[in-house]
Order: sequence, then C-alpha cells, then structure tokens
Amino acid sequence: MSLQLQPVRVKTGSHDTEGQLVFTDGLLVAVLVRLSEDHEGKAGMWFLEAGFDGAEERTHPTFADLDAAQEWIQRRLDGC
Amino acid sequence: MVPTPALSLNMLIRKLESISRLSDEERRAIERLPITGRHLAAHQDIVREKDRPSQCCLLLEGWACRYQLLSEGKRQIFSFHIPGDIPDLQSLHLKVMDHSVCTVTQATVAFIPHEALRELTAAFPGIAAILWRDTLVDGAIFREWMTGIGRRSALEAVAHLLCELYVKLEAVGLARDHAYRLPLTQADLGDALGLSNVHVNRTLRDLRDNGLITLHGGKLQIDRWQELTGLCDFDATYLHLDRGAV
Repeated sequence: MSLQLQPVRVKTGSHDTEGQLVFTDGLLVAVLVRLSEDHEGKAGMWFLEAGFDGAEERTHPTFADLDAAQEWIQRRLDGC
Repeated sequence: MVPTPALSLNMLIRKLESISRLSDEERRAIERLPITGRHLAAHQDIVREKDRPSQCCLLLEGWACRYQLLSEGKRQIFSFHIPGDIPDLQSLHLKVMDHSVCTVTQATVAFIPHEALRELTAAFPGIAAILWRDTLVDGAIFREWMTGIGRRSALEAVAHLLCELYVKLEAVGLARDHAYRLPLTQADLGDALGLSNVHVNRTLRDLRDNGLITLHGGKLQIDRWQELTGLCDFDATYLHLDRGAV
C-alpha cells in the first residue's frame, strides 16, 4: 500500500494555506499543511491538519518534511 | 537569598486570610511553623509522581504547575500555580503522589513538614477548614478545565485560560489594569489545554489580530477585557474569590 499526494490550498484561518491531500487506494486519509513563517522555528514543517482512520492524534503532530509525515501516516494505517 | 521564615509565613497568612479571617492565636501558631526556604531553577521537579512526600511546598515567588507524563513524552498540565499556592497540599492526606509538580519559572518555595501542618490543623479547626475550602476551589477549577478541554474551541479555551490567570493574579496583587507577566510558552499552553503548538500559535495570533490582546516580551495586555470574557463565556464564580475582576 502506498500513499498519493495531491496539492491543495487549505483555509485554516491562518497563513498556513499550502497543503497536500494524502490518499491511500483512492481514499482521503489526511490533510497536511505546510507551516508558514508565522511559526518561526517550525516554518516549513508539515502539520497534520486532519487525519482519518487512525492517522490522527488529538494534539495534531508536526513533521520535519513530507516523507516523515507519510511514514507516520503509513505506520498508523498499518496499525503499528 | 533564601527566604526568611517570617517572610514565607506571612505569605501563607496572607493567602489564608484571603479566604477567611484568622484569629491572633491562629496567626501566631502559623508563625511558629518550622519551614525550609529554597530557590529553584525553572523546569525543576518539586515532587514527582509516586513520591511519598513528608512536606508540602508553599510557592513564594515564580510559577509552578502540576503535570503528568504520558508515553511518547506527552505531557498533560493539570494546573498552573502562583505565589501563595500550595500545589501539593493533597500530599498531607494522600500518601502517594498521583502526579508531579514542577517549577515553570525560577521560583522560591518554602517547605512545611506534614507533621507540623497536621498538628496545626488538629489544634485549629478554623485553619483546617480554610485549607479544605482551598482544595474545594481547586476542584472547581479542575471542573472548569474539563469543560475547556472537552467542549471549548481552541480560541475559547485559550481566551478562558488568559482570563482565569488574570483574575487569579490580580487577586494576589500580581496583576493590574488587565496586564500581567505571562511566563508560559506555547508548549505549556498546549499541554494544559490539549492543543497542538500550531493551534495555540494560530489562536494567539487571532486574538492579537482582532485587537483583544497584546503579547510582547512575555507580557500580556488584555486590551478588550469585556470582549475577551464574552468570547469564552468567562464567569469567575468558580474561582470563589471575594471580589471578581472587572
């Protein structure tokens, strides 16, 4: 099973608008958003805006890059 | 300089008298409590989960918090504490700590032996009643935090906490004119409210952009108190202070 990304713009109510929809087998499993300069030390990192079917966490995590985010999402989908 | 017993105990007397008047005899008994003063660095544990403490910690200067560590390094903060508070008062009657207490900022504390507190409360039921009332107010604050974590939006939860801290600090003379020093990081706020740092950052920015608060150099100014309290339905009744901030 592999993940597919699709660029999207997200209305988060902040300057964090550059996003990626994450699909698995054609089903949407997460929405990632690239953090804007508003987040200083975390600018450029990827934030899990929304996740489904286990690819979620109450205090939404932040990832260094898209690869790290996808690894985390895949691990969650695999139930690890 | 390590705080003198007289100064430390004055803080305790002031705190207790903010709840109920003490008789001269009660005040003298408190002044005789054997205490040990200490300076602590920021982010230092005062007492840890599973500890069996033999003393309580009166906070004289600085901020502290109660917290619990979860797996994967997650942390839940249960409460923030300011001078005059005894964050581990429960250890007087509950032998094993079910959470930890640490400093948030540099702090000065005074440790009071359990034995001395037990003798004091046995001899003076009025003092025992004041401490009991204090733990009931603690419970009221926990209920409000449950509502905040479970039912308020990120914006409402952050706004509510900023209002609560102002009213508490103002009551002990550490805040006025809707301004105070806020030594909490965005991570602290997130850990207290069950929010990600990103959400806390966005929320503070929202409050700032809408002209409700100014946050600069660790100092918070609430520019529009009525609107901020209205936004999160803040009602200070649960703090059970004699007078509320307006």
